[in-house]
Amino acid sequence: MKKTILLLASVTTALFGAASNDVHIPYEKYKLPNGMRVLLSKDTSVPVIAVYVIYDVGARAEEKGRTGFAHLFEHMMFQGSANVPKGEHFKNVEANGGSMNGSTHPDFTDYFETMPSNKLGLALWLESDRMRSLAITADNLKNQQEAVKQERRLSFDNQPYATAIVDKWPTLAFSNFQSSHSLIGSFEDLNAAAVEDVAKFFKTYYAPNNAVLVIAGDFQTADAKKLVQQYFGDIPAQPQPKRPDMTEPERTVGKTETVKDPHAQVPGLIVGWPAPKRHSADWYALGMLDALLTAGQSSRLQLNLVKGKQSVLQFESNLGWPFASAQDFKDPGLYAAFFVHKPNFTAQQIVDQYQEEIDRIAKDGVDVKELERVKSVLRFGKANNLQSAIERAKTLGIYELIDGNPAMFEQDFTEGFKVTSTQIQAAAKKYLTATRRDVLIIQPAPPAPAGGAK
Amino acid sequence: MKMKLISLLCATLSVCAAQTIDRTKPPVSPNARPYKLPPVSESKLPNGMTIMLADDTRVPLVTVRLVFPGGNRRDPQDIPGLAASMASMLTQGTKTRSYQQLAEQLDGMGASLSAASGADQVIIQGSVLSEKLPDLLELVADVARNATFPENELTLHKQNRKQKYVMDHAEPAFLANETFRKVTFQNHPYSHVGPSAESIDKFTQKTLIGYRDTFLVPNNATLILVGSLPAKTTVQKSITALFGSWQQKALPEYKPAAVPAAGRQLVLVNRPGSVQADIEIGRTAAVRKDADYFPEVVASVVLGSGTNSRLFMDIREKKGYAYDAHTELTPLDEAATMAAVTQIRNEVASEGVAAVIDHLDRMGREPVSSEELRDAKNFANGMFLMRLEPQAGLADQLVTMKVQNLPKDYLETYTTKVNSVEPEQIQRVAKKYISSENSTIVVVGDAAALAKPLEKLGKFTVVQAPQAGQQ
Repeated sequence: MKKTILLLASVTTALFGAASNDVHIPYEKYKLPNGMRVLLSKDTSVPVIAVYVIYDVGARAEEKGRTGFAHLFEHMMFQGSANVPKGEHFKNVEANGGSMNGSTHPDFTDYFETMPSNKLGLALWLESDRMRSLAITADNLKNQQEAVKQERRLSFDNQPYATAIVDKWPTLAFSNFQSSHSLIGSFEDLNAAAVEDVAKFFKTYYAPNNAVLVIAGDFQTADAKKLVQQYFGDIPAQPQPKRPDMTEPERTVGKTETVKDPHAQVPGLIVGWPAPKRHSADWYALGMLDALLTAGQSSRLQLNLVKGKQSVLQFESNLGWPFASAQDFKDPGLYAAFFVHKPNFTAQQIVDQYQEEIDRIAKDGVDVKELERVKSVLRFGKANNLQSAIERAKTLGIYELIDGNPAMFEQDFTEGFKVTSTQIQAAAKKYLTATRRDVLIIQPAPPAPAGGAK
Repeated sequence: MKMKLISLLCATLSVCAAQTIDRTKPPVSPNARPYKLPPVSESKLPNGMTIMLADDTRVPLVTVRLVFPGGNRRDPQDIPGLAASMASMLTQGTKTRSYQQLAEQLDGMGASLSAASGADQVIIQGSVLSEKLPDLLELVADVARNATFPENELTLHKQNRKQKYVMDHAEPAFLANETFRKVTFQNHPYSHVGPSAESIDKFTQKTLIGYRDTFLVPNNATLILVGSLPAKTTVQKSITALFGSWQQKALPEYKPAAVPAAGRQLVLVNRPGSVQADIEIGRTAAVRKDADYFPEVVASVVLGSGTNSRLFMDIREKKGYAYDAHTELTPLDEAATMAAVTQIRNEVASEGVAAVIDHLDRMGREPVSSEELRDAKNFANGMFLMRLEPQAGLADQLVTMKVQNLPKDYLETYTTKVNSVEPEQIQRVAKKYISSENSTIVVVGDAAALAKPLEKLGKFTVVQAPQAGQQ
């Protein structure tokens, strides 16, 4: 009994070091001889386990004529493997009380199971079997091409703003094909994918030395290590994959374009800039600037545009937008914002109002009180988020994959929090200028006349 | 050369591994570690406010819910959406704090606070680092008791709510669900999910305050705290200081409206330019207090929860008609709905609807296999556990228990009740609530592409999706 209490107390201090107030996730890292990196993060407070496998390949590794392939491949990972017949992956997870999914990002693809903690072995068996022996068949491919095309229709083609964001925006934000192509892909390219492409992609990228395995939650370390060794230890390594050249030319002048969106009924727009190098002083400064503009209930955009000028209806932005976080992009990345605004304001007015907010910070800086307030918003948001095992696993795994070090998660907090008003001003002046700015205006358009009926 | 070394090493290891594991079969799992929910204590203030405390020390956070049964179902008949807008306005200014002061104070302490209205309740909800709990509670009490609905904030809220109305109606899933509720519930208050184009103009200080003063009274309130709490006497003391002087007030008489009998209705919502057909097929079903509820839960899982369900495995994985196909069981307080939801390619829309209907009917036609039953029970129980992992999950379960007057042992006995469901019960309940003969079928899509093929299934009433500029 006493032991449990002590353990709980130690978890508490670990997650929220009272003295520094920094957010912390405990972990142990090691490497298997085949190159697979393993991260263990133990917290026994709830009998739940998260198993998270992240591969070092994303949509930015796609080749011309194969847009959307990384995501199509992700779907193939659920179609069975040597010892797990088609459909049995889903069944093994859910019939054991778990949930699972996978997702494709610009620079990584991830897969996870959240399960009652006694099912750790099962989750590792499933993940290792598909890493070792994926079932790559024409039938599976055909079926998943249809599923992905339906996903495209559902999540993008039939939704307001979504095609502008996924297909058009990257062509403004980036000029290198690796970053500027549609990450969900075109129907034409999806149809063109062949079984050989799938096999080659699998062999090249889905190797243990190109993956990180994270286990978070309720486990005993010795048991977990033994299971990891048993299931993954003998999967052969592959040559380290070549990485595509993702360099972007130096940006001096941005672009403004307009798209008509038949599904949008209220105008929207995207504004963005190329981001500074990850973990550079300017990158931290822009992260803090973004928080000043958008975090919490008392952010500048909420108080000055939604309230004050009463022009903006919704806004969102971050380093890495339209993806969830700055950790979605290795270099080069971007900083972007999305607005939905009232129709009685023009897109240009909204862009000007937004730029004005940035320029005011660049000119006047920010007082300590506001800066401290924003830090408490960020700290609270993270603390809330880290309650679940899968979020802790993702955080560690993504930092290991993108930066080669899960400890960068904490560094981003401590370094980010050291940013001064002067640094924020300097970064805003250097990066977020009207000249370097890209703008995509999304105008509601009447739906295309459909075969006769109105 | 290096590669060779690595593979050799692996080969050696695999020999060791092979002695201990059999890769061809899923491993045998050890027994599940039992999990005990934190105990919940309940008490009442003299003014009738109920207090529920659950000491949950897993993380140094406290989750707060102040819940008032009523919600959207108590909107005046001619002002749908009033409760939800009243709730949004609670945090827009109080007697002593402007919106900005409230927002800055919240952000400064590292807390969240918002208010919303659902079908059955208004909730003020928030969460905060444990040591700041007294500060958040003070704001909760302030917005619950002292909101002033400032005229300038209300004008802005109404403008923005009208734009939100237009944005919502641009979403096919919203249109499908709004129509499904309207057709299924007819004159019952559950028939609306938001305001109408006309009702927003009727949100005035008078109507908002009228709703607030009727339902946000202590004898209709339950304060729920889940988290690392200070000693019980300390908590009680600070709650009494903040809420003790709140005057109780009799609630108006309420007689729930009759829930309309289910009957087959076919509606096509024309959304020109839609590239697929959004489908919702379903009807009224058993509420949580009904003896049919647990068989219904398991039936819903077999049919359409998760990727191992019949709808997902057939409509998506086998037929490739859709990306997603699932069931939605919505057990509200006065009535529940059970529906199958999917988005089908235009070219196979009628085949897709027919396939879904066949799955609905099959649930009543034949018993589920013992394997499906076992798998579904495990999934239902697993999801139940996962939902309780974050504090907010437990808090929300307590809200439902309170609003729907569920037995005190609802959470403790959930798994046992799921496990006791028999195939015959599922078949009987499915005949009653899942079979399609009395189902509403809503299709949202381009009528030019869909009207003709859908004729095979019966006569659809065609309605137009609202377009911008028509409000």
